[in-house]
Amino acid sequence: MILIWLIAIPVAGGLAAWLLDKWAPGAPRWTALVAMLLNLLIGLRLLAPAEGPWLVAIDVPWIDAFGIRFHLAIDGLSAVLITLTNGLGMIAVACSWHEIDRRRGFFFFNLLWVLAGIIGVFSALDLFLFYFFWELMMVPMFFLIAIWGHENRIYAAVKFFLFTQIGGLLMLAAIIGLYIVHGRATGIYTFDYNALLGTAMAPPTAMWLMLGFLIAFAVKLPAFPVHSWLPDAHTEAPTAGSVILAGLLLKTGAYGLLRFVIPLFPEAARTFAPFGMLLAVIAILYGALLAFSQTDLKRLVAYTSISHMGFVMLAIFAWNELALQGAVIQIVCHGISTGALFIIVGMLQERLHTRDLRRMGGLWDQMPRMGGMALLFALASLGLPGLGNFVGEFLILIGVYPVHRTLTILAALGLVAASIYSLWIVQQAFHGRARETRHRLTDLTGREGTILGALVLAIVWLGLYPQPVFTLTRPVLDRMLQTARSAPATPLKITLAPAATARAAGPVEGDWHADR
Amino acid sequence: MQTADFTALTPLLLLAAAIAAVMLQIALKRSHILTIVLTLAGLIAAMLGVLAVGDMPARQVTPLVTMDRLAFFFIGLILTATAATALLGCRYWEHAVGQCEEYYLLLLVAALGACVLAAAHHFAAFFIGLEILSISLFTLMAFARRRMASVEAGLKYLVLAGISSAFLLFGIALIYADVGSLAFPIWTARLQAAGETVSPLLLIGMGMTVIGVGFKLALVPFHMWTADIYQGAPAPTTAFVATVSKSAMVALLLRLFAPVDFTAEPALFWTLAILAFASMIVGNILALRQDSVKRILAYSSIAHMGYLLVAFLSGGPAAIAATVFYITAYTITVLGAFGVVTVLSRTDADADSMSDFQGLFFSHPWLAGVFMAMLLSLAGIPLTAGFIGKFYAITAGAQGGIWWLIITLVLTSAASLFYYLRIVVAMFSPPLENKTQPPAAGISYSGGLVLTVMTVLLIWVGSAPGPLIDLIGRITQ
Amino acid sequence: MNVPLTHLLTLAGGLFFIGIWCAVTRRNLIMVMLGIEIMLNAAALAFVGASLRWQQMEGQAVALFVLAIAAAEVSVGLALIICIYRRYRTLDPAKVQ
Repeated sequence: MILIWLIAIPVAGGLAAWLLDKWAPGAPRWTALVAMLLNLLIGLRLLAPAEGPWLVAIDVPWIDAFGIRFHLAIDGLSAVLITLTNGLGMIAVACSWHEIDRRRGFFFFNLLWVLAGIIGVFSALDLFLFYFFWELMMVPMFFLIAIWGHENRIYAAVKFFLFTQIGGLLMLAAIIGLYIVHGRATGIYTFDYNALLGTAMAPPTAMWLMLGFLIAFAVKLPAFPVHSWLPDAHTEAPTAGSVILAGLLLKTGAYGLLRFVIPLFPEAARTFAPFGMLLAVIAILYGALLAFSQTDLKRLVAYTSISHMGFVMLAIFAWNELALQGAVIQIVCHGISTGALFIIVGMLQERLHTRDLRRMGGLWDQMPRMGGMALLFALASLGLPGLGNFVGEFLILIGVYPVHRTLTILAALGLVAASIYSLWIVQQAFHGRARETRHRLTDLTGREGTILGALVLAIVWLGLYPQPVFTLTRPVLDRMLQTARSAPATPLKITLAPAATARAAGPVEGDWHADR
Repeated sequence: MQTADFTALTPLLLLAAAIAAVMLQIALKRSHILTIVLTLAGLIAAMLGVLAVGDMPARQVTPLVTMDRLAFFFIGLILTATAATALLGCRYWEHAVGQCEEYYLLLLVAALGACVLAAAHHFAAFFIGLEILSISLFTLMAFARRRMASVEAGLKYLVLAGISSAFLLFGIALIYADVGSLAFPIWTARLQAAGETVSPLLLIGMGMTVIGVGFKLALVPFHMWTADIYQGAPAPTTAFVATVSKSAMVALLLRLFAPVDFTAEPALFWTLAILAFASMIVGNILALRQDSVKRILAYSSIAHMGYLLVAFLSGGPAAIAATVFYITAYTITVLGAFGVVTVLSRTDADADSMSDFQGLFFSHPWLAGVFMAMLLSLAGIPLTAGFIGKFYAITAGAQGGIWWLIITLVLTSAASLFYYLRIVVAMFSPPLENKTQPPAAGISYSGGLVLTVMTVLLIWVGSAPGPLIDLIGRITQ
Repeated sequence: MNVPLTHLLTLAGGLFFIGIWCAVTRRNLIMVMLGIEIMLNAAALAFVGASLRWQQMEGQAVALFVLAIAAAEVSVGLALIICIYRRYRTLDPAKVQ
């Protein structure tokens, strides 16, 4: 039931916020804040490590004709991500407290529905249900960008929607393909994740189906050739929208790769892994390079996201325990640090009415507290030891090194670039001399200080003591590694070509990448 | 004819009685309200008739029609759509110059034609049903006769329908010359038996029949003027054409070709597959270039018939069920979409250009919400009936292994988002300063009722399609 | 039974194409209607021929239906044409738009 509540509270809270808008102008934001606080508290109960593979589950029939079930279940990985969602959701509500002055009710309605969709994505174990939530979080996000965004919002919103929708529809076709392949082989037509794991299929089929999933997640992540929606969407979205985009929506892509692509299609993913890792490294370097050449602060932070999410993709395709642990930490920490940077940009924009780096400079004198915060998150972003991102990136690089040395070294170059652009932000915006005469600027208010303070606590804690996250996610990752390794060993129910069987039976014992 | 025959025909008889009653009422005393009440009473009586006898075992009444579950389902769908159109038309025609009672009469006659078409089992019944439907439609389209666009739409549809009827007729005459019977089952049996060696007469006949059906369903390349007709016709008529005449033709398509095994008939399969492919591509591309909402919906209907054909062509057990589900979901959605257009329109000018919809969200949030739901359903976003329909179509297609059509469906429907979103974005843009919003008087109760019902149905079918799928499963067994 | 089916179908086919030609190329709405009528009648003729081949009455009955329905169609069509003519004073479909 607890999972139902986690989704129902934002849904109901969103509706309430919309309806209460007419009653009192301040009501929507309080409703939204209370709903997310409630969700966070309920969600914390999920963080207890448990014995079975799934911590809590709910599983009832939904559309019998297709074998679709309303199956929600979470394990440690989902629990961590859901907690991140609730936390960043609260922050997103708090940071749009004053920024949104038009149609607040509808704004918070959309915001809460995006969050509900994200929680659904992180907990759905029926592939149809997963797709359902996957699409459901898109529509409110479209409105967040299209209605409350900045100058070029319509273009950005439509671009975002088209990219993700094309990916999503291809994934739908792949989901249905998998459903039919499994149904043909076993006679059981189901969308259930656990049942579909280890479905035997011919390698070309597996490759096509995997590509269908992969494209959807790669667009979301975003991976290198399909990333171009991201800078626009991030730049034009309102602050809360950027926080949710960078902090949560991108993570659904990583989660999908981790949860679906590799466990469902281990063989095909193994074949694809070298390309995947190459694309990831290209994303790391390309994102960093482009970040460096931006003058729009928000766009700059958006490009750093591409670079950082490249690390996650690299780790996932390396598919070993260290790298995956690193990926999980990186997912969480990137959500927090980039979210914080977007919030700071939002605060600057509220005060200066510009995001142009060339018009900033010398802000430290007037806003030392904000400058300090910005410096801290910039350092987190460049991977300073002691802060969460360092743990993630370090583990990823260690994990990837045995798999592919050259790529690891190239990826490490991304870290160097990260320190350049991170310090560049601070130097350009806060140090130096003011390039424009401006009115007195207020430093962080109490509300803003609390928001950033909470994020600082989180990132420092994850940097110094990430063990709880490891404890929660290790069993999950171990199990995934097991599934993906042993999948080819499960007896193939339909006989494939002899060559394929022989090849599939090969690497059972060894590492996932052993046969290369 | 025995009593059981009359029992089976109950819905059609009630509908015919309603037509006679409305006709008499108009002759005796003109009253808009009275006509509407009579029309709705007749439609509701016929619907109750469907509910009462719908579960009967299939019965062939004379050689002409078969009243089976499929027929009853389509008759129910047609009656519902007609009732929705009549309710939507109330406010639209209220301020019309001149008399408008005949509109409802013609609506009922057209519905009767569509019902006969849905139950047709024999060529003669099919032809009579089709022509009753078409001839009423010409008049329904030209009904706003002060508006030249409306009359032109009627005339264009007349020329188009005449040519397509002639093709159908000639094709059927050739088939008849070859087969020696006008009953549908004998044709399909003959076609099955012939396998790959079809006689040229039968082949040409089938080809001309496909052309005729293609015209009626507005498949590419028989789609010219579709957009003009949709745009020119009064909004309630457009809703009617897009739903009733399409679903009647789909019923016919099912009767004619559903028993055919497409793997044994590559020529027929490829003809229909290419029509589906072209409709998806051309329909969506042309829709991208439109600025008129009605034209966008017209081209999108072409594309949707292409999607429907994908489900239909998949063969296999799910094909028929998927097709029926698709047309049902489509009917609900299109009634809602044109319902919004109708509610925003007046007899003298329909809400059509993008600017008519600009800022709708702020002036009429509820209407905008309904329209958005309908557009998202057309685009196939979850929680709407359109999504389940598309999902069903893709599943059926994947079972049939026609992946190239599925990929086309997926990519074109992703592209279609672009023009649906344009309308959505227009609704959320700030309203134009110097523009008076179309309905100053607000939404009529009847229009509001239809839109509410359609929205509820849309979300119900979209979130819990189980009952409808079961029902369709029982029908198509 | 003196006339073979092929002859009849050839005649009907010829008429049908004349009808299409007329309906598609003529620049006068009345002539377009006329073309459609020719097409419909060609189909009716084909029905009569086919019914002769099978020695059935069905085809002939359909031919009668076709005549009746073609008449109805023409009456509606002419009404619309008059409506258009009153407004535009022309029957050229190209000029009507």
